[in-house]
Amino acid sequence: MNTNSNVYTIVYTTLIVVVAAAILSIAAMALKPKQQANIKAETISQMLTAAGFSSKEDLAKLGNDKVLAMYSQNIKTAFLIDAEGNKTGELETEVSGIELQDNLKLENKNIQNGNPSLPVYVFEKDGQDINVIPCYGAGLWGPIWGYLAFNADCTEILGAYFDHDSETPGLGAKIKDEPSFREQFKGKKLNFDNPDNPFDIVKGGAPADNLSAIDAITGATMTCNGLDAAIDTWAKAYMPFLQKKAAAAAGDDCCEDGCCEGHDHDHDHGHDHAHHHHDHEHNHQEG
Amino acid sequence: MEYISLFVKSIFVDNMIFAYFLGMCSYLAVSKNVKTANGLGVAVIFVLLCTLPLNYLLDKYVLQPGALSWLGPKFADVDLSFLSFILFIAVIAAFVQIVEMVVEKFLPALYSSLGIFLPLIAVNCAILGGSLFMQQREFLNVGEAATYALGSGIGWWLAIVALAAIREKMAYSKVPAPLKGLGITFMVVGLMGMAFMTFMGISL
Amino acid sequence: MNEDLKKTLLNPIFKGNPITVLVLGICSSLAVTVQLKGAFVMALSVIIVTGLSSFVVSLLRNSIPNRVRIIVQLVVVALMVILVDQVLKAYAYAIDKQLSVYIGLIITNCIVMGRIEAFALGNKPIPSLLDGLANGAGYGMILIIVAFFRELLGSGTLFGLRVLPASYVPNNLVILPPMALIILGCIVWVQRSIQKDLQEK
Repeated sequence: MNTNSNVYTIVYTTLIVVVAAAILSIAAMALKPKQQANIKAETISQMLTAAGFSSKEDLAKLGNDKVLAMYSQNIKTAFLIDAEGNKTGELETEVSGIELQDNLKLENKNIQNGNPSLPVYVFEKDGQDINVIPCYGAGLWGPIWGYLAFNADCTEILGAYFDHDSETPGLGAKIKDEPSFREQFKGKKLNFDNPDNPFDIVKGGAPADNLSAIDAITGATMTCNGLDAAIDTWAKAYMPFLQKKAAAAAGDDCCEDGCCEGHDHDHDHGHDHAHHHHDHEHNHQEG
Repeated sequence: MEYISLFVKSIFVDNMIFAYFLGMCSYLAVSKNVKTANGLGVAVIFVLLCTLPLNYLLDKYVLQPGALSWLGPKFADVDLSFLSFILFIAVIAAFVQIVEMVVEKFLPALYSSLGIFLPLIAVNCAILGGSLFMQQREFLNVGEAATYALGSGIGWWLAIVALAAIREKMAYSKVPAPLKGLGITFMVVGLMGMAFMTFMGISL
Repeated sequence: MNEDLKKTLLNPIFKGNPITVLVLGICSSLAVTVQLKGAFVMALSVIIVTGLSSFVVSLLRNSIPNRVRIIVQLVVVALMVILVDQVLKAYAYAIDKQLSVYIGLIITNCIVMGRIEAFALGNKPIPSLLDGLANGAGYGMILIIVAFFRELLGSGTLFGLRVLPASYVPNNLVILPPMALIILGCIVWVQRSIQKDLQEK
């Protein structure tokens, strides 16, 4: 057979390409479920770490099934909201069919277009609600994203977790690798009075009395600026929802949809509204 | 302004050689004198500029999850991203073949001095790497992808011509025998890389 | 094992090392050597891809039409790389995230194509497989040496386990990419001092 003839060349290349494509498609299809499970477990691990249920390292050792089970046990409800903070749909939380709104890249675009569909994950820990919301933005070399965990009335940050694609190891990558960076978020709050810049990551150190700012990482200014912008963008998008939650807790009325889900009046909320910026006296009435 | 910032950033901050070390093999082999380095650098700019926007369109309208929705709503779930590597490299190989034919016909002197390195542009990590990085970053349109491609190519060209100039001069230095050639070149490139890191904090 | 096979296996480790002697595969060797774990996975991936690609191309060597030689080789290599990447995404997700772009770049890793052109096209499948595996191993060895120094001096750990005392201030310069090149330069220096016939005039 003349291996250099035109017919042979064309037939050969076609055959090789078809065989290669077939092998790849089979492999991709066969491995897809496992890959999807990995991605789902990864997202859930990040949320659980932000909410304070465990640490990323410990979760990594547990394996996908246990991570999914932990999510199902501790999640109270999960839903989607729109730009005005109204609930638009529910997400399945049973272990068999956990639904996550984890295409953050797409939602980032939607936020910019003005019609986002944003997820809120409400966990329950020791009888208290923990609201977890995502954020996403551009770091120095690639995308960065993460989760912020708020207390029941969304006035105080309880924890955070961040991840990245390609930030510099030892510098920008510290937003993920350095627990002390994330620890700074505990007890901080979003500054609702400044909707365009509700949170700051300050190079050189944030003033100690500023409850809406933390210190940036030395040598990772660009990554921290990116994270600052990501948090600001997403916090602004969630602000109607967060403010409604805060208002509902301060006032006595159970307001519109999306507000009261998971807000159980039988719990003793006591005086953990100390961080409220509402300046009127309020009596929190049970029942 | 966005375009200029992206352009300058991709030449200096995201420099293909000094920040990501892509395209090293041909970079080290062809940087012995400025003339051939220049020729290869220009060829790399051309191939990047042509293949990256094309791969961007391919990614946007064929490969990304949900990209095929323009064909019809039932294609909205199709995710062909696992074919990225193979399609990108196919586009690149085809282009390099074209470039080779053009150079052979119109610039025969350059063709013979570049020798094997012209077809090797097809496997130059910088070209495929450029397309893969483009996939990770979210460019808003073809214009941005093309700007990034042009900037990356110019960055690579700048790096190879600079190194060739240094190596031409180093031929007259007293380098210890075991370091001569490859060893000292590695170190020089490392030092140049450190120098380029000073561009990191720049934003326009 | 006969002499030829032995030579095929041992040559790429020192005398014919793909990185320090043949100057192939530099790109990824610099980027993934920040930590030993990443370097190890990358090395393993390259060994598998180079070995299998050389093997398959050698099997096909008499039937490949000359005009599309490079394209056919690229298809085979790309196929192997994508398979490795898909398997990593399924079974070692965390590491795959770290190595991201660089796994794809194995396709353009000069070592793979270089060995196919230089060896697999003209030799039988089994020696080609061995040649591919050995070159991958030679590459892997250099990767691990560079990663050893970068992780040890840059973070005080090896494979994630703390080795140097906590009072050691990590040398951040070593974590940055240019240092990898300088370390490579030193490795070449050492190798050529030992093997004087490799020195350039």
